[in-house]
Amino acid sequence: MGLLYGLIAVGLALIFGLMDVVNFAHGEFLMLAMYASFFLFAFFAIDPLLAAPLVAAALFVFGAVVYLLIVRFAVRAKANTGMVQIFSTFGLAIVMRGVAQFFFTPDYRSVTHPWLGGKTISIGGIFLPQPQLIGAAVAMAAFGGLYFFINRTDFGRALEATREDAGAVALVGIDKNRVFALGWGLGAALVGLAGAIMSIFFYIYPDVGASFALIAYVTVALGGFGSVFGAFAGGIIVGLVEATTALILPPSLKSVGIYAVYLLVVFVRPRGLFGSM
Amino acid sequence: MDTDFANRRRRDLIVAFCLAAIAAVVPLFVKDVYVQNIMVLTLMYGALSQSWNILSGYCGQISLGHALYFGLGAYTTTILFTKFGVLPWFGMIGGGLISAVIAMALGYPCFRLRGHYFAIATIVIAEIALLLIQNWEWAGAALGITIPMSSDSWLKFQFARSKLPYFYFALGLVCVAWFVTWWLEDSKWGYWWRAVKDNPEAAESLGVVVFNSKMGAAAVSAFLTAVGGAFYAQFVSYIDPESVMGFHFSLLMALPAVLGGIGTLWGPMLGAVILIPVTELTRSFIGGSGRGVDLIVYGGLIIAISLARPQGLVSLFTPKRKEATR
Amino acid sequence: MTITRRNVLLGATAAAALAPIAARAQTSEVVIGVTYPMSGANAQIGVDAQHAYATATDIINNKHDFDLPLAKDAGLSGLGGAKIRLVFADHQGDPQKGRAEAERLITQEKVCAIIGSYQSSVAVTISQTCERYQIPFVSADNSSPSLHTRGLKFFFRAAPHDEMFTKAMFDFYDALKKKGTKIETLALFHEDTIFGTDSANAQIKLANERGYKIVADIKYRSNSPSLSAEVQQLKAANADVLMPSSYTTDGIMLVKTMAELGYKPKAIVAQAAGFSEKALYDAVGDKLEGVITRGSFSLDLAAKRPMVGKINDMFKAKSGKDLNDNTSREFMGLIVLADGINRAKSTDGEKIRAALAATEIPGEQTIMPWKRVKFDELGQNNDADPVLLQYIGGKFVTISPPQGAVAEAVWPMK
Repeated sequence: MGLLYGLIAVGLALIFGLMDVVNFAHGEFLMLAMYASFFLFAFFAIDPLLAAPLVAAALFVFGAVVYLLIVRFAVRAKANTGMVQIFSTFGLAIVMRGVAQFFFTPDYRSVTHPWLGGKTISIGGIFLPQPQLIGAAVAMAAFGGLYFFINRTDFGRALEATREDAGAVALVGIDKNRVFALGWGLGAALVGLAGAIMSIFFYIYPDVGASFALIAYVTVALGGFGSVFGAFAGGIIVGLVEATTALILPPSLKSVGIYAVYLLVVFVRPRGLFGSM
Repeated sequence: MDTDFANRRRRDLIVAFCLAAIAAVVPLFVKDVYVQNIMVLTLMYGALSQSWNILSGYCGQISLGHALYFGLGAYTTTILFTKFGVLPWFGMIGGGLISAVIAMALGYPCFRLRGHYFAIATIVIAEIALLLIQNWEWAGAALGITIPMSSDSWLKFQFARSKLPYFYFALGLVCVAWFVTWWLEDSKWGYWWRAVKDNPEAAESLGVVVFNSKMGAAAVSAFLTAVGGAFYAQFVSYIDPESVMGFHFSLLMALPAVLGGIGTLWGPMLGAVILIPVTELTRSFIGGSGRGVDLIVYGGLIIAISLARPQGLVSLFTPKRKEATR
Repeated sequence: MTITRRNVLLGATAAAALAPIAARAQTSEVVIGVTYPMSGANAQIGVDAQHAYATATDIINNKHDFDLPLAKDAGLSGLGGAKIRLVFADHQGDPQKGRAEAERLITQEKVCAIIGSYQSSVAVTISQTCERYQIPFVSADNSSPSLHTRGLKFFFRAAPHDEMFTKAMFDFYDALKKKGTKIETLALFHEDTIFGTDSANAQIKLANERGYKIVADIKYRSNSPSLSAEVQQLKAANADVLMPSSYTTDGIMLVKTMAELGYKPKAIVAQAAGFSEKALYDAVGDKLEGVITRGSFSLDLAAKRPMVGKINDMFKAKSGKDLNDNTSREFMGLIVLADGINRAKSTDGEKIRAALAATEIPGEQTIMPWKRVKFDELGQNNDADPVLLQYIGGKFVTISPPQGAVAEAVWPMK
């Protein structure tokens, strides 16, 4: 489960952590990805596992478009950039929920009988559900890929440089908007991946994103902004803490453990575990 | 320049007085309960947003967990009244004081955090409080607490049908919140905060005093928010954790200030006057369809305003001065 | 400048608010307010409810050959054939908004009664508002027992509440035990909301009274992203009966997580909610063969009372679904309310209240398995007998109480 939180958080880590842009519609991106995966399954009988790249591609386009249409202006705002980002993406989240309810109706959907639905592997009495295992594998691959991407490729460096000093990179001929639009697309594509995997075992309805969004923010901040590895570690810690808390406290309080750990970490290390900013 | 500033402040005070006087007369002409209800909510959100603005706008500490103080206020009054028979007027003050103390206790470790780390910490603290109350049997847990109905009474601050007492209380709260802000703007604290916001590093030379002033801002802001929460509990006469402490409340409190103009004297009220009626009317007149159109309209409005006027709608009214002070 | 803008804005608000009043004012209409969550996490419930109420309105306003109150003639005969008109309002599951919408319905739309509201927390504030304005509130589908014990004069509930539902479950266990089935331990699984808490409290109380042992009492946060820790604990407890009180979302998650973790309880007896929603069975029905849920409605009744099937068809034409626990209660709630208004021969709140208090509808004239509809002094109908249904071969069959049962319970479930 921890890796799964990590997978959801990794897209956010890119947008939130590396570009320093708050996306309050992250949960809604996830919702959209899950619907995309559901409809691919319902109309074309494409299993969510196969649909994952398609969904990721669709979300890539969506993320880039959202950046160009909305976030570009929010980042450019002269005053209160932070608040403008928070609330323009919050507005976007509400609109997306409304649109989802309008077109998809508020009915609960779920993908019936995907290949991996409900299959489990049992190792020594410990049950490991296959969809979650796949999710974990995809999460690790995504993190690895992203880590490589940020640290080893030109684009990754461009992204980081752009965040640091947009004026300076403009001088060497990098277009900030293009770099950030691609970054947003990539972040959204990762959410798309997460959404497709999630749709195997989670129900889908317009408000589904809300349950995950807050945990994703905490995961990213726990690991520290600006660090891909941090988000990965954050995800694992959140998963472990949640499981342990549920053993000690009543399960309805299990999120309290996650939140308390976050507070402890930032009180000791104000930049998260591996944060650079 | 100095006299200019003094003049502006005097004019602000006069305008506020006139507006308050006009607002006080409005309900004598608008008798419809539904419209009055919207007016009460507008004033309440105006006051809450103004209190939020003190900490987040002026002081630059973006809190997304103000629902905590709102809920504390609501729960303190309600519990004191239903379990111990303490009149809500005392409960209100008590809730305010408790909130102020808690705000300072939390401010101590939290003010070391910057930016997103701080904002997320505030969200998380409010969520913890919500979960604890939701699981606390004695405080009603998920069942919430109903304030028993009684005949109209100023002592118990309960009125069956009339909205007027609530309206005037909310108006009073707005005036207090506005006046506190007005007064702070020109105080030592106000100057420090502006310095801190514009350049945190340079202001570090002010060190301890700034930290103390932030604590002060948190306390004032929490106190006023808690009084707002106590008011809400009396107004609705039923509270449950989700409806007074939910995360969406924290956002709803910040929204009017952000849209109207964060860190400005008039922004929060202006934002509330536009936002709250729109929210209520869209829900009432197109929300019944069950198709989410009201959400689309509401969200679209937020995007449009926050992108078109990042410095807030208040800048529409004062274009020249804004640039002069910036 | 500021002043005029503000005034214009207020003026516009007032004008917008006053518009519907001018448009109204026909005397041959009886207006009833209906409040549901129409947006947000429970929007689906509100949309389904709209169809259920539309079906009931059709039957009341037009001639139908059903043995239901008001079906045979068009409109309300007591009011010269006046038609009823429903005004829907969205409360989004928020008590404050519920109260504001109730006030709007009463003062602007001039409704003579309100019916609702799915969430019990919202029912609290709506019923208080109705009490203050002296008009009746009919709780169609709220099952919290704390609602009717507040001594409100204008509160009526024709359907059973959680304590009655829970009693039916324990009656069923007692009967099975007498036949030699081993039922000793129970595991409770309930969400941390008003519904979950009320349900669990009733279950704990009855278990103690009747000597069943509760080996796990798991309270979880509603709409949790994961329930694996919770299910692990249920699995460890391995009780004879698992008793979930969950809405659709968590119900789906519970069943999927149980399958993933390899937990097969001997029996599941659910406090309806999610477990009577089609969406849950669409998602995980194959894993739920043999699940038992309480209900206030059963389609098996159609064999005895053909009108139940016909009304179900009418509802299905509108919504594409069969009537279920919620929608049937909503349908019946409006019929009971309209019958009260008809006998009151007036739209005056106090007169309707008096008429409702004197309600006496025999069970055969309902679509429910109830003995009759008759309210006690608290406004609760104590003769609304719940049923237990078992999900077998893709549909529900009634297994308890004995007089309504069409099949023997399969125990333990597969």
